[in-house]
Amino acid sequence: MNNAAPKIPRPYALLAELTYRCPLHCPYCSNPAQYPKGDELSTAEWTRVFQEAARLGALHIGLSGGEPLSREDLPELVRAATEAELYTNLITSAVGLNEKRAKELAEAGLNSVQISFQAHEPLLGDEIAGATVHQRKLQAAKIAVETGLALSINAVLHRSNLGFLEQIIDLAGSLGATRLELANVQYYGWALLNRDKLLPTREQVETAMRVAQAAKERYAGRMDIVYVLPDYFQDRPKPCMQGWGQRYMTVNPMGQMLPCPNAFSIPGLRFENVRERSLGEIWSESESFNRFRGFDWMPMPCRECPQREIDFGGCRCQAALLTGDAAATDPVCSLSPHRGVVDEILQNEATRTIDQPWVPRHYHARAVAVS
Amino acid sequence: MTSLAAMQRESRPALAPQVRFRNDPVSGEPVLLYPEGVLVLNATAADIVKRCDGKISINQLVAQMSHEYETDETTLAADVVECLADLSKRTLLVFLP
Repeated sequence: MNNAAPKIPRPYALLAELTYRCPLHCPYCSNPAQYPKGDELSTAEWTRVFQEAARLGALHIGLSGGEPLSREDLPELVRAATEAELYTNLITSAVGLNEKRAKELAEAGLNSVQISFQAHEPLLGDEIAGATVHQRKLQAAKIAVETGLALSINAVLHRSNLGFLEQIIDLAGSLGATRLELANVQYYGWALLNRDKLLPTREQVETAMRVAQAAKERYAGRMDIVYVLPDYFQDRPKPCMQGWGQRYMTVNPMGQMLPCPNAFSIPGLRFENVRERSLGEIWSESESFNRFRGFDWMPMPCRECPQREIDFGGCRCQAALLTGDAAATDPVCSLSPHRGVVDEILQNEATRTIDQPWVPRHYHARAVAVS
Repeated sequence: MTSLAAMQRESRPALAPQVRFRNDPVSGEPVLLYPEGVLVLNATAADIVKRCDGKISINQLVAQMSHEYETDETTLAADVVECLADLSKRTLLVFLP
């Protein structure tokens, strides 16, 4: 026991990335742009992971991917999570959600299904997804509601669809969603590769903010609208993950356990595997989870800033990607000595090469074998 | 808020379909779980929420609680309505006709 170690909190939620396989090619996919090698965790291994997560205190599980419906054993996994008393939320493109599967998932105890939409209409939606999926998503959302599954909609916002925000919101409302997450792109992995094309203009950002605010009021009591700010345009960083190793844990398809889904952005950080150690051990003892836990790792100006209790110094991955130092203040912060890096990215608004093609997210599941 | 309450006194409150009510095994506190959210309830709110089963009306709920708590209905009604309105605003509650 090391007395100087930061106090270990309890986790609230597990993000289970069940597979990297996905029929979509969204250019802002949150999966790593360089995939780790290995075999996907089996049904039995995931079941053990869910039980351990619940014992640690997790209340929520996000069943995500890639596309989680690509896992044939998804109903079994939902059942396992339900039996562990976790609140189950399926985070899906909904491609493959037909009546039979929706019924199986509902019977397995699924609490909520979150369907992504790329736009308000098929032409743009299918272009962004890199696949003909918009109509199928509409159909799947209808099936989800008819099956009695609670529906959330998620839309990732960027330069190509921000102008249609109102239509996207009304689409979610008309589909019967009780929650709508409007998430401005965060620039990691695939999104970073496509940043020039995704980054909105300041005018778009300001208009969208007003549209979202008005919609929040209009839909109050019917649909909860969560608006994730475009952090490059703010002067204070986001409270990323509510602090490193404080509330969230991610397990990727190969069993690596990460403090955040983008943690691969940080060079030199080694992630332990749930095949080799328990979740509890990794959560409380691993180097990766303790690296930025608490406040002791903080540089100036964070170390003495009253904001540190609110934003926890911002995002470690963003610091690593934009400054080369994962332990730097998030450069979004106007108090960061590196804020100029962000301003420079925003400055060349007029000359950004938005006509270039997308770098579509791809994954070749050559070596995947589910035992 | 008062007019909303007046309108809905005969309606039957129920947790919205995406909401689960349970005790947090770590803290022992009653919580509502919904997509990406946890709402910790105080004892009174928990007592109100567990009666929101879609079967009894707000008026019946108030009568029930006022009997059990031996409190005046008018005072209790104000607290109940405030709690229900707050949960409804968060999209955690629906009112069945």
